[in-house]
Amino acid sequence: MFRHLLRTIATSKVVSTNGKLLSLGNYRSIVPLSTTRPHLQEDKIKVTFVMPDGRSLEADGKVGDTLLDVVVNNDLDIDGYGACEGTVTCSTCHVVLKQEDYDKLPDDACDEERDMLDLAYGLTDTSRLGCQITLTKDLDGLVVKVPAGTYDARS
Amino acid sequence: MRHRVSVVKWPIRLNVKHFNTSSADKPDGSEIGLPRTQCPIQNHRARSTHAVSTVFEAINPSVRSWEEVPGPKPLPLLGNTWRFIPYIGGYSVEHVDKVCMSLRQQYGKCVKIAGLLGRPDMLFVFDAGEVERVFRSEDAAPHRPPMPSLNYYKHTLRKDFFGAEKDCAGVIAVHGDSWAAFRTKVSRVALSTGAAAQYTEQVADVADSFIQRIREIRDENSETPDDFLNEIHKWSLESLGLIALDTRLGCFSSSEGSDSQRLIDAVHTFFLCVGELELRTPWWRIYPTAMFRRYVAALDTILSVTLKHVERALESSEKVSNKSLLQDLVTAAGSRVAAVAALDMFLVGIDTTSNAVASTLYQLSSRPEVQESLYEEISSVVQGRQLRAGDINQMPYLKACVKEVLRLYPVVIGNGRQLTKDTVICGYKIPQGTQVIFQHYVMGNSDEYFADAQEFRPERWLQKSSYKHPFASLPFGFGRRMCLGRRFAELEMHVMISKIILNYKMEYHHKPLDYHIHPMYTPDGPLRIKFIER
Repeated sequence: MFRHLLRTIATSKVVSTNGKLLSLGNYRSIVPLSTTRPHLQEDKIKVTFVMPDGRSLEADGKVGDTLLDVVVNNDLDIDGYGACEGTVTCSTCHVVLKQEDYDKLPDDACDEERDMLDLAYGLTDTSRLGCQITLTKDLDGLVVKVPAGTYDARS
Repeated sequence: MRHRVSVVKWPIRLNVKHFNTSSADKPDGSEIGLPRTQCPIQNHRARSTHAVSTVFEAINPSVRSWEEVPGPKPLPLLGNTWRFIPYIGGYSVEHVDKVCMSLRQQYGKCVKIAGLLGRPDMLFVFDAGEVERVFRSEDAAPHRPPMPSLNYYKHTLRKDFFGAEKDCAGVIAVHGDSWAAFRTKVSRVALSTGAAAQYTEQVADVADSFIQRIREIRDENSETPDDFLNEIHKWSLESLGLIALDTRLGCFSSSEGSDSQRLIDAVHTFFLCVGELELRTPWWRIYPTAMFRRYVAALDTILSVTLKHVERALESSEKVSNKSLLQDLVTAAGSRVAAVAALDMFLVGIDTTSNAVASTLYQLSSRPEVQESLYEEISSVVQGRQLRAGDINQMPYLKACVKEVLRLYPVVIGNGRQLTKDTVICGYKIPQGTQVIFQHYVMGNSDEYFADAQEFRPERWLQKSSYKHPFASLPFGFGRRMCLGRRFAELEMHVMISKIILNYKMEYHHKPLDYHIHPMYTPDGPLRIKFIER
């Protein structure tokens, strides 16, 4: 959306006070000077989602984002992921972690999460809900598997 | 996020790949962090859903038609509605539980109830694997079976209020985009983990008052009076008032004619009428019957009393900085959303919670050994101090007891969806618009899904070994339309029961009570429980 806004600004033309046409396109050069971006880059956490069909989806998140945030913010193509919007009432954001990553997570699953994990399809010992995994610097390069869903009953 | 949800789709996946992780080869789930916490529940969590292998068998190449679904045959003109006429029909609204049990035995795992006057055909589903499949394939805005009578109230009779602002009609009897928009605003505040736990101390405060109230109302035999259930209603309303409105309503000292008692009576009338209005012949659509007038009057009472409290709470919230759900909602979504959310909470949040507590107390009162185990667990966590946020999470046995009661006696015996697309269920093609009712009372009591289903064994929820189907007992539902008040209802129940167990031993010395739908699924008869001080 931000990009779209920039583009709009960049292409719009304004008439300056002295009547000369000015293109705001020149102001693009200002953007890289912003201090926000390098700072964000520093905190970028790389996450890879391995899909049931073997595809790998890579995306960047920030420290403090949940895996669900990463999927939503990057518009990753994982069907049905996070249907309840992170309110822990479904198990569609179920992911399977490697044992070492699982052990690295600062918090154990809470009771609400465990109740929903019981209802997750293809539960494993290192399953968690993506909406409950918050990214830390430790987790940079995290690889998680997205288990297969189930039949579409609406077919 | 909204954008994301709007494109949610479940693909057709014909090849199911079973997922192997390195840890799956290990002997059992015991390595998933038992040393870190003492919670015995962890031990059983890591298991695959039992239904995995059965889910896919249901897609049958030879799908049969809707006409072939078994079920009681509707009569010409009268349909099946006549079956709910008292004395003649044989189906009692008060004993729908038994009707459902016998339908399951007579017709099998899915039963069609066609020809109900004024409402779509219904399909009762008794197969947990199919429940799982339907739930998993839900889209972003699942429809619940509409309640035409409440629909009429919200969208026709009182549309000036509910239609005044866009997407602000609440969550009950509302569907589609309007529902999704409202739900999204509220669910973050009401359902995210830890949302309820921060109210632990306030809820414990009300529970303390109730403990004291029991002392006052006991007779010389230390038994509670016949209308003990009404006292539990008062507790439930008081808790809800505190959570939703940050107000002590003073229900325990309320008398006949007070706002609190009027609210309790109105909610009770609402539930009593709704079953009758929905299942029996809908004469109210032609002219306002006595029942319908009572129903509308009850809803008007709930609306006016709630709004009065909401207004007062909003006024005072500017002065005090106490945290309440109401203020959270005002901050997140504005005062009108908060008011309508509070109304829906009062509509469905009083009776349900109080009947669940009544049912639990009744079940525990005849089981001293369960009470002792509970006492050990709770007292070792609390250790004489006040209950704090997080304490309840260290009481797995208490949680298991509540789950077990709700498995055997769910306060709402079924949960439903209205199909938004043609769907194959149990090998039949079920047309769009059909109301599918998941019968979790029948499934929860079935040996097919729970080992020794008739036995009260809370331990089954703590053991990995005991067989249970995760989708057979879902008292709060599942997914996007799961009970919005679940976290608060659970908190209220857990806090209340732990307080009672800490203070009293319970005994029951009268004839065993049958359960009936009145209007929740609840023990039929006076709850004369003996409360003995510990």
